[in-house]
Amino acid sequence: MQQPMIIILKEGTDSAQGKSQVLSNISACQAVAEAIRTTLGPRGMDKLIVDSHSKATISNDGATILKLLEIIHPAARTLVDIAKSQDAEVGDGTTSVVLLTVELLKNSRTFIEDGMHPTIIIRAIRKATALAIKKIKEIAVHIKVDDPKEQRALLEKCAQTTLSSKLIARQREFFAKMVVDTVLMLDDLLPLNMIGIKKVIGGSLEESCLISGVAFKKTFSYAGFEMQQKKLLKPKIALLNIELELKAERDNAEIRLDNVAEYQKIVDAEWSILYDKLEKLHLAGVKEYQKIVDAEWSILYDKLEKLHLAGVKVVLSKLPIGDVATQYFADRDMFCAGRVQEDDLRRTQKACGGAIITTVENLSEQTLGTSEVFEEIQIGSERYNLFTGCPKAKTATMILRGGSDQFIDEVDRSLHDAIMIVRRAVKNDSIVAGGGAIEMALSRTLRDFSRTVAGKEQLIIAAYAKAFEVIPRQLCENAGFDATNILNKLRQKHAENNIWYGVDIMREDVSDNFNAAVWEPAVVKINAITAASEAACLILSVDETIKVPKSSAEPSNAAKAMNMA
Amino acid sequence: MALRVPKAPGFASMMKEGSKYMHGLEEAVYRNIGACKELCETTTSSFGPNGLNKMVINHIEKLFVTNDAASILREIDVVHPAAKILMLASDMQEKEIGDGTNYVILFGSKLLENAESLLRMGLSPSEVIDGYNLALKKTLELLPTFEIKVNLTKENLRDNEKVVSKVLQTAIGSKLFGYHEFLGELVTKACLTVTGSDSSSSFNVDNVRICKILGGGLLQSTMIPGMALKREVESEITKVNQARIAVFSCPIDIQVTETKGTVLLKSADELLAFSKDEEASIEIQIKALSDAGINVIVSGGKVGEMALHFLNKYKIMAVRLQSKFDLRRVAKTIDAVVLPKLRTPTHEEMGACDSIFVDEIGETHVIIFKHAKSHIATLILRGSTDQILDDCERAVDDAVNNFKALTRDPVLLPGGGATEIELASKLTEYARTCPGIEQYAIQRFAETFEYIPKILAENSGVKSTEILAKLYVGHHDNPNLGFVVGQMQSEATQSNDITYETGDVKLNELYDLYVTKKWAVLFATKAACTVLSVDEIICAKPAGGPKQKENKGWDNDD
Repeated sequence: MQQPMIIILKEGTDSAQGKSQVLSNISACQAVAEAIRTTLGPRGMDKLIVDSHSKATISNDGATILKLLEIIHPAARTLVDIAKSQDAEVGDGTTSVVLLTVELLKNSRTFIEDGMHPTIIIRAIRKATALAIKKIKEIAVHIKVDDPKEQRALLEKCAQTTLSSKLIARQREFFAKMVVDTVLMLDDLLPLNMIGIKKVIGGSLEESCLISGVAFKKTFSYAGFEMQQKKLLKPKIALLNIELELKAERDNAEIRLDNVAEYQKIVDAEWSILYDKLEKLHLAGVKEYQKIVDAEWSILYDKLEKLHLAGVKVVLSKLPIGDVATQYFADRDMFCAGRVQEDDLRRTQKACGGAIITTVENLSEQTLGTSEVFEEIQIGSERYNLFTGCPKAKTATMILRGGSDQFIDEVDRSLHDAIMIVRRAVKNDSIVAGGGAIEMALSRTLRDFSRTVAGKEQLIIAAYAKAFEVIPRQLCENAGFDATNILNKLRQKHAENNIWYGVDIMREDVSDNFNAAVWEPAVVKINAITAASEAACLILSVDETIKVPKSSAEPSNAAKAMNMA
Repeated sequence: MALRVPKAPGFASMMKEGSKYMHGLEEAVYRNIGACKELCETTTSSFGPNGLNKMVINHIEKLFVTNDAASILREIDVVHPAAKILMLASDMQEKEIGDGTNYVILFGSKLLENAESLLRMGLSPSEVIDGYNLALKKTLELLPTFEIKVNLTKENLRDNEKVVSKVLQTAIGSKLFGYHEFLGELVTKACLTVTGSDSSSSFNVDNVRICKILGGGLLQSTMIPGMALKREVESEITKVNQARIAVFSCPIDIQVTETKGTVLLKSADELLAFSKDEEASIEIQIKALSDAGINVIVSGGKVGEMALHFLNKYKIMAVRLQSKFDLRRVAKTIDAVVLPKLRTPTHEEMGACDSIFVDEIGETHVIIFKHAKSHIATLILRGSTDQILDDCERAVDDAVNNFKALTRDPVLLPGGGATEIELASKLTEYARTCPGIEQYAIQRFAETFEYIPKILAENSGVKSTEILAKLYVGHHDNPNLGFVVGQMQSEATQSNDITYETGDVKLNELYDLYVTKKWAVLFATKAACTVLSVDEIICAKPAGGPKQKENKGWDNDD
């Protein structure tokens, strides 16, 4: 008798199981890594990605590329996640974290094929990770931060290392200085949102500048604006959240009622007001009405006057500033800007002091800000409002110049990475040498350690050690060097305890990267290794994929499932 | 067998076309057993510390990577009726204890598998059911006698932190082996923070909160007494020590009536005064709060621009929470009363907190309410992917549930399959004393227990038969002999490799909870008996009615 098939899952459910499943997941991850492999390092190439809205993006940032690729393979999605996590935690090293994961998987592949149980591999990987992190902590060099000069040098070098692998590698010294200046301006929390990055198309990269204060694009303005002062010294700045426009005071004024009879009265009253108004207008006896209008004017003028009397010279508002107000301010040598972006306003507040106020009732020294100079200048084709020499300058603005949208966007991303690295470096002062040096050192440590382990773990830890070599190898390959040759030289150097030898991209050779000032914060590497091994373990630990069809599909029911034909 | 013609003549014609009718051992019982067996195959390989994960993509395309049987089954949409019975049993276990779901599936389907061979031998299903029930009764009698005595009572959980942590580690070990020591201690700390010093206060699972933040590694996870919220503060002040807190469920703004209305302004003077009055009234309110010593406001609604201005002026920190539940929890953390109306709280209604501050973890800003005397503890979990975080959350959930079970009944049993082997041998002895035909069923019931250590061993890649033999031999002298995975002591010294051997679970501190085991065996047996007692399956023709609503309850943790 033929045994009929038993279906316990919904129709259309996909399920894949066993060793082949692990292997196919690894293959999928490898395919993803291929896409970003060539972006690693100073000689890495950029990718041009056109997304579904046909928006073009040029980038060599691993996380950005992976995000745009819209990967749907469940295992490969893990890679996108770790790139994101690396981006969130340290900001840079997204490509290397993906490469490291995939290399780990690739090296584990043979063991899986040979029938080794994944849990053994996972355990070995975890052990190796712990060792690698211990080693990094051991050899990382602590730089004294007591000396601001030395700290600066350290930060600049870290920033340069990051920038060297980006589009703006050639201008890295220029930008590294800028990035460090920016970060050092912030307060202890180093809030990222206190750094403004403004992009102005046109000009050359070197024309980008840093403003120790706030800058924002000139807002829309009404007539009268031309007559206003464009440069003020030590102005008092009022930051408002009030509409300086002729308008109803509040549109949601309210009534409270006691009983229903009242309601009718109210309705009657409303009608009578309307009739009243109409009648009065009709009779040209617009006295009361005029009074109302006058009141509205006087409310506005009252506000304006208060501002003026408080000695305010610059008025910024989140809400629109109408033409009456503009004119009023122009007459009194004051500057105003309405509809200022909220974050710009907040940053101005941080920089210049004062408070964002919703009332002009009690203006005082505390609620008003100030800065050395306020000016409006021309940058490219845009006009910018600048506040410089701010007393509490805990904020900075970068104005980026460049040829095209995509280009500036990529510069923005690169600087973001650099800023993140510098922020990490400020908080953690231990550094390691980049350019594959730290990876080679770890590789050697693990390889030496593996020889002391009896059992299967030896093979896996050795494989982990080999996986680390992917970073220097890829650096060489992207630069067009003979990777085998360079790696052999590196291994030899590291065997002689020259722990900081890495790839020298400029001379196609190996060199002591610590002396060459290719530095990276140790925390970047620690996070990369943790994330890579967590992801690798996750992918290895999956032996079955079950895909339930989308809920839009016709719901199958018990009777169908029994399928007793 | 194939000769059997099961359909009653004319029965099919009594029903609508398209309905199905199955009857008898061949068509119904074996088929059902087969379905359960298949279900079990999916979860078997994820049992125990060395169990592998499953990647499940559910009907809304959400990806799960887990080895938690309850989650797997919930997401794969089991539709077979018999398999569903088993699934429901595991669901009940999840509800009752919160852990040991895979145990139920495994044990239940293995019982059925053994029953199948009995049925083929010629026993009737009812005889098997009788035997299973007898065996179950005996098992429940036997279980408490295996207790490992560690002097744990409901009252002294706090003093036995180490033992508690070991119990939780066993639970976490079956999900995230390798991180179980670290997480176990973290969860223990959190649970003990939350439990009141007096034994009368009950432990609420909801009081251990989890805050998942992407980035970093699992080992960077921390526990804080108090709450962590993934939000930013509204006000300019971001850090307050020795906070005095007022909690409002209403928006902090100008009071608005529910009824929509318009202010009637009679004259120009009123219009002029209107906005000034508004400003003044809100300033009075906020000044009153400030005068009462309040420096933090937590609100369930919007904080108005005007109010914010005055809050900043009086240096009060404002936190806005969108979830009503979060608001309630915060109130609980800081011992405050949630006020429905903007007014100055009395001294009793105010909350106090050691420190409230905004911290940046990874890229995420979190508001942390740190309060040493908090009734709520939060675990901040870190991990490099969402899946790891989710899996971690489930593991922590299981551990917390285990703790809850512990507060109810702190009886510990030997883990690592030791209890099962002991049960198997004791039940076999018992079976021999039974005169009736149930003897066979009891015998099979006993054998079923063998599967637990067997699968543990198989999942670890060790020869299961060898281990079983060793266990049986060893149990003559030591009832606490079990299958022990990985000697943690040796990992620290790095010299020894991890072993998969039989060992004394008491020495290795591998504990299972009595209640977990009791309910798991109970539910599994009941489910198996239910499946066995079915001899007829009738499926009505599916109606073409509107699509049934999807079960929305699966993600409603809050």
